[in-house]
Amino acid sequence: MKEHDLTFDAMGSHVRLLIGEPPAGADLPSAAEATESARRFVVEFDRALSRFKPESELSALNDDPRERVPASPLLRRAIQAGIEAAELSDGLVDPTLVGEIERVGYIDSRAGMAGEPLADALGSAPPRRPARPRPDSRWRELVVDDDAGEVIRPAGLRFDTGGTGKGLAADLVAARLRGYPRFVVDCGGDIRIGGAGALTWPYEVFVEHPLSGERSHLIRLGFGGIATSGLNVRIWRDAEGRVVHHLLDPATGEPAWTGLVGATALGDTALEAETRAKAALLSGPLEGRRILAEKGGLIVHDDGEVERVGPIAVIPTTAAASAEPAEVAA
Amino acid sequence: MTEPRSLQTPPRRKPGGALVFWASAALFAVLFALLTFQLSSGTTGTTTTASRPVQVRKVIKRRIVTTVVPSPGKNRVVSGPATSSEAAPEVPAEPITTSTS
Repeated sequence: MKEHDLTFDAMGSHVRLLIGEPPAGADLPSAAEATESARRFVVEFDRALSRFKPESELSALNDDPRERVPASPLLRRAIQAGIEAAELSDGLVDPTLVGEIERVGYIDSRAGMAGEPLADALGSAPPRRPARPRPDSRWRELVVDDDAGEVIRPAGLRFDTGGTGKGLAADLVAARLRGYPRFVVDCGGDIRIGGAGALTWPYEVFVEHPLSGERSHLIRLGFGGIATSGLNVRIWRDAEGRVVHHLLDPATGEPAWTGLVGATALGDTALEAETRAKAALLSGPLEGRRILAEKGGLIVHDDGEVERVGPIAVIPTTAAASAEPAEVAA
Repeated sequence: MTEPRSLQTPPRRKPGGALVFWASAALFAVLFALLTFQLSSGTTGTTTTASRPVQVRKVIKRRIVTTVVPSPGKNRVVSGPATSSEAAPEVPAEPITTSTS
């Protein structure tokens, strides 16, 4: 089975599409055509929903002084995804922390910028404690009215797709690839896998360790989503010389230091996996284990120890080369 | 003058208590003996056919569930659900990796 493989930059990350050729006689475009169509969709998604692009529809919404604002189906879907993520994480993955993330210094996209070494940052980081939801839960004020084609929220309440956009993009592309035998949509590490053929021939997905940068573990995945959240990228020093990063404690608006430096989660969708990974990381080891217990995942402690949680079969990469294919996570 | 005959029939004499007791006991004993005989011989008063013997069967269904875990590697033949292609997919040139973005 031949697969079309394309990598390009969008959403401040690398996006990779791996699509198998449709069966002969199927009424589907070729894998190459599907890949190009998916690429155009992701680029358009990024153009419409980036808070770093002043001309984006999301920026227009955030600047709009009206309470009810007409919105495209894509923007409404993105906001709905943000609400779903907040609900799933009990407010830890909060899409309304735009002012807070800007105060920390994340005003422009930091794509491609060299960050502070995480191992050094851990030494000077504040005492560890679990993040907490924002007490006023402002994300609950977001309402999507699909009948009217509008988004309703108090003027001034801004929305950011940062926590959910890549996962949602992967899921939306996957929905467009229905009928293809086997495919991977990787939006900056938020990965969605699908196709009947992937059940028979699962993909091998490696997990990058946030401290070493090496592919430390291998997971074989036949369907669904997998995503990783970590502190090793988008980490910098602010004007006062403090090491800060982009994953905020909603209760304080400050970067969260919880005792974990990374979390990888499985989910039915990439959006769910991304939400679980981020919520686990923000929750710290104790609550993080509970969040990952249902669908499975990995947490990486400050000292680099990788801990397997829930129904997930992983193979350390040192043994992966010789391991029998008996462990399949699905 | 003759005495008028009484219009009332003379009252019957009740049987003695001992007679009733012994008659009841005898009837009970006869019926008890009859029923005991019928039960021991396998017949009843309502049917003369012998009741069918009851067969007790223990049905054991054994199901074996087998999960086939295929290999994603090259050149491995795996039985499983039909896919669009019989050939194993090519391993991607670059590993698929989930990492922080």
